[in-house]
Amino acid sequence: MEVIINKENAVTNVRLVGRLDTPASQEVSEQLEPIMANASGTIVLDCTEMSYISSSGLRIFLSLRKAAASQGGKIIVKNISDDIRQVFMMTGFLNLFEIE
Amino acid sequence: MALNDNIKTVVKKSRGTGLLLVLVAAATLEATTLIQYVSSQRMLKREASQRAESELRATRNQIMDVVDQAEAAVHNSIWIARWCLDYPDSLVVVSRRIVEENPSVMGSTFALVPGYDKNHPLFSPYVCRSPEGDIEIKSLATEEYDYPSQEWFTEPLNYGIGYWSEPYVDTGGGNVLMTTYSVPVTDESGRIAAVLTADVSLDWLTDLVGSVRVYPNAFSVMISREGTIMVSPVEEFNMQRSIQDYAKGARDTANFNILAAAMLNGKSGNLVLGQRRRERTSVFYGPVEKTGWSMAIVIPDSEIYGEIRRMGVLVGILMLVGLSMLILILTATARSQLKYAEVNEKKERMEHELSIGHNIQMSMIPKTFPPFPERKDIDMAATIVPAKAVGGDLYDFFIREEKLYFCIGDVSGKGVPASLLMSVTRTLFRSVASHEKSPQRIVTLINDAMSDMNENDMFVTFFCGILDMATGHLRYCNAGHNPPLIFTDEVRMLPVLPNLPLGVMGGVHFPEQELDLACDNALFLYTDGVTEAENISHEQFGEDRMISVLRERRDSQGHLKAMEKAVADFVGDAEQSDDLTMLFIHYLNDMKPDATERHLILHNNIQQIPQLADFIETIANEMRLDQGLAMSLNLALEEAVTNVILYAYPAGSDGLVDIEAIMGKDILEFIISDSGVAFDPTAAPEADISLGVEDRPIGGLGIFLVRNIMDTVSYQRTDGKNILSMTKKL
Repeated sequence: MEVIINKENAVTNVRLVGRLDTPASQEVSEQLEPIMANASGTIVLDCTEMSYISSSGLRIFLSLRKAAASQGGKIIVKNISDDIRQVFMMTGFLNLFEIE
Repeated sequence: MALNDNIKTVVKKSRGTGLLLVLVAAATLEATTLIQYVSSQRMLKREASQRAESELRATRNQIMDVVDQAEAAVHNSIWIARWCLDYPDSLVVVSRRIVEENPSVMGSTFALVPGYDKNHPLFSPYVCRSPEGDIEIKSLATEEYDYPSQEWFTEPLNYGIGYWSEPYVDTGGGNVLMTTYSVPVTDESGRIAAVLTADVSLDWLTDLVGSVRVYPNAFSVMISREGTIMVSPVEEFNMQRSIQDYAKGARDTANFNILAAAMLNGKSGNLVLGQRRRERTSVFYGPVEKTGWSMAIVIPDSEIYGEIRRMGVLVGILMLVGLSMLILILTATARSQLKYAEVNEKKERMEHELSIGHNIQMSMIPKTFPPFPERKDIDMAATIVPAKAVGGDLYDFFIREEKLYFCIGDVSGKGVPASLLMSVTRTLFRSVASHEKSPQRIVTLINDAMSDMNENDMFVTFFCGILDMATGHLRYCNAGHNPPLIFTDEVRMLPVLPNLPLGVMGGVHFPEQELDLACDNALFLYTDGVTEAENISHEQFGEDRMISVLRERRDSQGHLKAMEKAVADFVGDAEQSDDLTMLFIHYLNDMKPDATERHLILHNNIQQIPQLADFIETIANEMRLDQGLAMSLNLALEEAVTNVILYAYPAGSDGLVDIEAIMGKDILEFIISDSGVAFDPTAAPEADISLGVEDRPIGGLGIFLVRNIMDTVSYQRTDGKNILSMTKKL
């Protein structure tokens, strides 16, 4: 799993490339800690290249969402695949995130 | 059987009834004939009586003519005679006039009562006609004749009226039968003075009476007042014997006496003489007035009834002949009916037994469809519609060692022999195919066995195939049977070598052919009962119609039903001429490995999760699952396995997770087991996905996903192991 973080002004662009399974989530979680600590701006989670997500991946998404919510920031989920959209729907995440 | 018993009883009864019938018929016929006979006899008697009476009447009338004529001649002369009394010499004139004027009067006299005229104590001039016709005059006043003593003279004087004398043979006048009518003549003072007579010849009477012939053998008799036989067929009796005399010598004296008395008393009537039937004679009699005569017509009964008796005999003979024939015919009919009933019963019993045989045979042939309900790789249907109760078509199939053995056959001929050979063929197929693995061997062995025992030159067209259920590889061998149809992208004839039918000769080589069936390919086997089904105008159903029926997509049972209906519609009212047998094999194996198991064992290390992903991907590819389903399964498995890896074993200790995937046809089962601490993930509370961001807990989604993705999730703790089973229908 590769995480590419790109900050442009107040928007933090996070590209998630590959499978966000349990082991990957542990790494990604560490990598995203700075962003989570400073989540007052807009964070775009670019899922164009994310092929899979497990519940631990969903936890990261929810943690980010909670952090943003507490800090007045904003999370935008971008380009999820249909299969992942199914998972989002199943888990009620479609209601929790702004999805583009 | 019951029916035949009835027929037998009826026939047996009808034998008795038949005899009774004959007897009744005979009795009725006899009675009718008897009544007819009796009434005919009466009629004949009446007819005879009428004829006799009319003859009697006619004869009497003729006699009376003569009698009246004579009487009139005499009476008409009385006044002259009276006038002449005073002149006796002129008396001859009176007699002469009587003779001359009446041809039937042969002679006449005017005889004075002796002493009436003193000059002529005896005076009786007699005028007569000589045989030559001349008038002669003689005197009867001779001593030797002594006319005053003659009957013709005394009787009228006694009675005082006209009197007809007894007939007599006039010796003087040429032996002529005569009778005399004499009348007393009184003078003016009322004294009897003389007797005037007229002699009447009775020669004509003999002719007249003799000519009365009512029947050829009948005869007539005339007797006088005294009973003298005047006229009869027996010459020597005439004027010689009296009826009284005759009665004494007659056979039936008693009745003859009655007859004689009746006739002498001037009665009329009839009487039967003779004791014995054959000798019986009917006598019809009646008087001839004035003369005191009586006439009888005698008719032998054989004359009267002769015809009817002959007829009676003839009718009797005819009746006997007829009755004998009736009995013969009746007996023959009864016998043949009994025989028919017996033959029928035998036939029925045989047919019954054969139908039992047929039922047994049919019961051995697979008849339950679908035959292999547990199998998804094959859909089969088969049917036999026999033309006669017992048919000669057969089909059979069974699966042995994952191979479908099937056959179809058509025995030459129909009915019982065909059915027997069909049984033999089917039995041979079962026994040979149970250990042989190639159609060629099966067909060859059946053919050899059948040729050995085939003494009736019957044969069987036969097609045998073996389909490898796993691979779709079909091996087949044809023995003169109609080529089956194969359904691929199109419907066409399966290429077959014709080969000889089974049972023609032994030792023949039957080449084998082969072909690969893909999933959804099908075979349609049939007998010529389908293609050669004929309608009323003798058109055949044909292969084109057959193929066009099969073009529509149906399941195998549907195909056969459609074909049966199409044939039935085509045939219409024509009689089904041959067995209609069809076998449809729809191969549906899409080559998915059947219930294959895959195994993955992971250590309790989260870094091994990608191995699980690979494992799932392999299974998904193997089962050709779509990507979305593959991802879902991966997710569910990862959640369940992660749970074990992270929590089942105490931190730092080494543990294993066993993941077993069981790939069914349409179901995928995963069994995840570990030896860690007992933990039932299914007992975890359901996550509430409706909560908002703030309230939503971070965890708890893992088991939620498992539950949502899989169709069933179950946990059990067995032998110190946590066993989580999850299934997903495909």
